[in-house]
Amino acid sequence: MHEVKQRPACHRAEDLVTYLYGEASEADALDFSKHLEQCDACGSEFGVFNQVHESILTWRNEALGAAFDPRAIAIDSAVESNQFVRHERKLSALAALREFFTVSPPWLQGATAFAALLLLVFGVTMLFRLSSKPAEVVNNNTQERRYTQQEVKAEVDSAVQKTRDEMAKQTTSPSILNNEKPTPNRPQLAINQQSRAGRSHGLSRQERQQLAADLRLTNPAEEEELQLALPEQDQQRPNQ
Amino acid sequence: MVELALSGDPEAFGEIVRRWERRIFALAFGMLGREEDARDATQETFLAAFRNLRNFRGEAKVSSWLHRIAVNQCITRQRRAKVRGETALEDEAEKNAAVFALPLEASPARTAENVERSRAVRKAVSALPPDLRQVVVMKEFEELTFQEIADALEIPLSTVKSRLYTALRQLQLRLQKFGDAESV
Repeated sequence: MHEVKQRPACHRAEDLVTYLYGEASEADALDFSKHLEQCDACGSEFGVFNQVHESILTWRNEALGAAFDPRAIAIDSAVESNQFVRHERKLSALAALREFFTVSPPWLQGATAFAALLLLVFGVTMLFRLSSKPAEVVNNNTQERRYTQQEVKAEVDSAVQKTRDEMAKQTTSPSILNNEKPTPNRPQLAINQQSRAGRSHGLSRQERQQLAADLRLTNPAEEEELQLALPEQDQQRPNQ
Repeated sequence: MVELALSGDPEAFGEIVRRWERRIFALAFGMLGREEDARDATQETFLAAFRNLRNFRGEAKVSSWLHRIAVNQCITRQRRAKVRGETALEDEAEKNAAVFALPLEASPARTAENVERSRAVRKAVSALPPDLRQVVVMKEFEELTFQEIADALEIPLSTVKSRLYTALRQLQLRLQKFGDAESV
């Protein structure tokens, strides 16, 4: 007999099947039962399909025994299989680990445990180092500030002394004795035409500041705070 | 239990066989129509399942996995039988087809009618195309829900329903012919 594949008589063929086997929800079942009353095609098909369904059930019960209840077995098995599958899914990683330790030789178990321990120690050490790093940065900054003023003062004093020595050498030349102004070719000295009380022999305050800046020992902003003490003999010399 | 079976414990797998044997047999009987074939197919199903335990990852239910194997085994047996041309044996078996359990109180006339009816239904179901037959058997013999059938066969839910609809229509026509023949 050739295959008979006819189009369903009604567009609600799937609903018919769902309703026939009792899988429709309450609302859908009520809706379809009303449709059955109105649709002749579905009404007659439902009756025929029900007979076929009953015939198959009769055959099944006769063949496998009237006591055969697949749903009873299905419920038990479904519950257990769901539990098994859920349980299996939950424990799959754990079960795999357990199985690994079960089947692996003692030396491998020990090596795995030792490697895990090393990893733990390494992790803790890294964590400790990361947490202590910011304190070291803070300490470095304070150390720089601690030595700034003293060292700069000492350096400026030595630089000034050096310059004075050079100036002293030049005082032996006639130009200097005649109170001539220092030549502008000396790059380290800035000639200050303005007279100030207490101005030193060779270097004015501005010159000293310039010298200190040139030696890169101070910030220009900090120059005002520095008080450079010069030897008395420089102050006694006449201001040029 | 599945976990133990997956690890190769034969006793655990034996427990799985014990729990699922009847259902798989019902499925095989519905697909093949004969007790002997159904028993062989059931045995082959569990053997195949045991051999392929490692491939079972637990993504699907155990029932769906076993059903899939059972359906494939039944289809394979039918193809082999077709190739070997075992029609003569089928006719003989059909003549002597035994009904396993009959109500004792049934009258002989009623019994004969039931036997004939059952035989007709069996023939009609066996004559269905494999894709329709497996849906009918899983629905009628195992009373699985549409969703369970869809999961086991890995097809959409609407496909399950439309296949069942088509199968019922074909069975209706075949049984109608039997009814007409009977009435004559």
